Amino acid sequence: MSTPKTVIQLKHVTKQFGKLTALSNVSFKIHQGEIVGFVGANGAGKTTTISTILGFINATTGTVELLGEKVEPQSAFGLHHRIGYAAGDMELPAKLTAKQYFSFLLHQSDGDYTKQYKELVQRFKPQLDKKIGTLSRGNKQKIALIAAFMTDPDVVILDEPTSGLDPVMQEAFLDLVRELRTQGKTIFMSSHYLTEVADVCSRVILMRDGLIIEDVSAQALLEKSGKLVRIVTGYKATRAPKGASDVEIETKRGKTTVSFVFKGTAEELQPWIASVKQLQDIEVSEYNLEGAFKSLYESEEKSS
Amino acid sequence: MMRSVYLKTLYDKRWFIFGWTLGFAALSVLMATFYPAMHQDGTLDALVASMPPALKGLVGSLADLKAFPTYLGSQLFDIRIPIIAGVMAIILALGLSTAEEERGELRTFLSLPISRTKLLLQKWLALCTIMAMTVLGIVAGLYASMPFIDGASIEFETLARLVAMTWLVMIAFGTVTFAAGFASGSRATANTLGILVIVGSFILSTFGQAVDWLGDFEKFSLLHYFPAVEIAKGTIELRDIAVLSGVTVVSLLVAIILFRRRDIA
Repeated sequence: MSTPKTVIQLKHVTKQFGKLTALSNVSFKIHQGEIVGFVGANGAGKTTTISTILGFINATTGTVELLGEKVEPQSAFGLHHRIGYAAGDMELPAKLTAKQYFSFLLHQSDGDYTKQYKELVQRFKPQLDKKIGTLSRGNKQKIALIAAFMTDPDVVILDEPTSGLDPVMQEAFLDLVRELRTQGKTIFMSSHYLTEVADVCSRVILMRDGLIIEDVSAQALLEKSGKLVRIVTGYKATRAPKGASDVEIETKRGKTTVSFVFKGTAEELQPWIASVKQLQDIEVSEYNLEGAFKSLYESEEKSS
Repeated sequence: MMRSVYLKTLYDKRWFIFGWTLGFAALSVLMATFYPAMHQDGTLDALVASMPPALKGLVGSLADLKAFPTYLGSQLFDIRIPIIAGVMAIILALGLSTAEEERGELRTFLSLPISRTKLLLQKWLALCTIMAMTVLGIVAGLYASMPFIDGASIEFETLARLVAMTWLVMIAFGTVTFAAGFASGSRATANTLGILVIVGSFILSTFGQAVDWLGDFEKFSLLHYFPAVEIAKGTIELRDIAVLSGVTVVSLLVAIILFRRRDIA
């Protein structure tokens, strides 16, 4: 089996803005056909990373490669025929209508993408005849997403792509990503909505304070983060077992609910369950990506 | 219509073009209507003759007020137009360079397959085109008013020379601010440099005639290379064209070199 082609590669990338280190020795590879989620709190360095990949900014040290070529601000445009890009805070030309903007984009492209454009318009239903500056954030975001996908790019880079979209349009976007996954397209997306990352991404890169703190498959991240356990008991003094995290205890109308995250095995948890007095209910579920991220982020914060 | 950054920029600035063209036309009409008072009133001769040299520098030479071409040279093209055009050049150049970056629109364009050099040059061409359109407002204003003003006539060739040199000065002023904006990405830097060049040029050219020590520095004024009265009399120095073009080209080259490599906010 041949190794999948690397489409994005960062090698020991550090970016400093004066005394501030925005990225610190960041390295990762993204292969063709991967859908990678890029997660981190505000200020973690996600947008800076994306900016170096697109050639908006120079890396202070290290190298960035896109589609096998070194990215530099003066030459990055040569790769942009094959790249789609949209950001949640993307500023589109306010004085143009969406129709005029798309016409401008079609003239910059290297082929005839009218068919893709029409399909995307059908899917997202943007307001084409109004000036972009007068549109709501969600409607502007639809235009940014159409612009990112309309030239059938090999790689799509998205920075908070669904911010401002209503749930119906978020679903339309996720459907599109799922379709592109089957076509072998590569998507690198940063998001605050971890449920959408869990839904469509095969891999998750976690970033904190300019450092990559985790680079795992979405499934591995969930497994690593343990199970969410919730018990209901009539015994007030019930406490969570040893090794539990994110513990919450609430007593209401004589019932005590204890919920926690447990990373051990079922065998390890069994003696504690057996010891719970007046047990009324028990629920064990998969911890979601949001919780996993929070738990991982907090443990990294404590260790640093 | 929206085929390129150049056409998009012209479309974006359509109201700016309309407003400034109308403004220049109105100013030209206004200045032309003052001409009869200048060349018919004999008391003005005595008044200007009695003025101290520093004030004469502001008003212009007495003899120049007599003939319509030199009247336009000294009263419209030598003082008012360059200053107003300078203000316009700063506003326009800032709008085309740093404003788009401040709004974040520049990132959007640079995510497209458009090279930084091409983007900068297309915007600069738009700047030159907009300035050409607005100076044509002067021509329109003068031609509209001349038939109604006693003694007001100017050969087309003379007017074309004045307008062409005005355009060249405007481009030089505009390109300095435009280049500083693209090279640095900072509105403050571009604004400061633009104001420094325009106001500095005005001070050096106006007061250089009256203040001895300032006179030595007059050649550093861009307006020194736009002797409107001499142009109205029929002479045009190649050296002036070369200096104004040189300032423009050097500014543009510096902007291209720095903009190609710098970080975009």
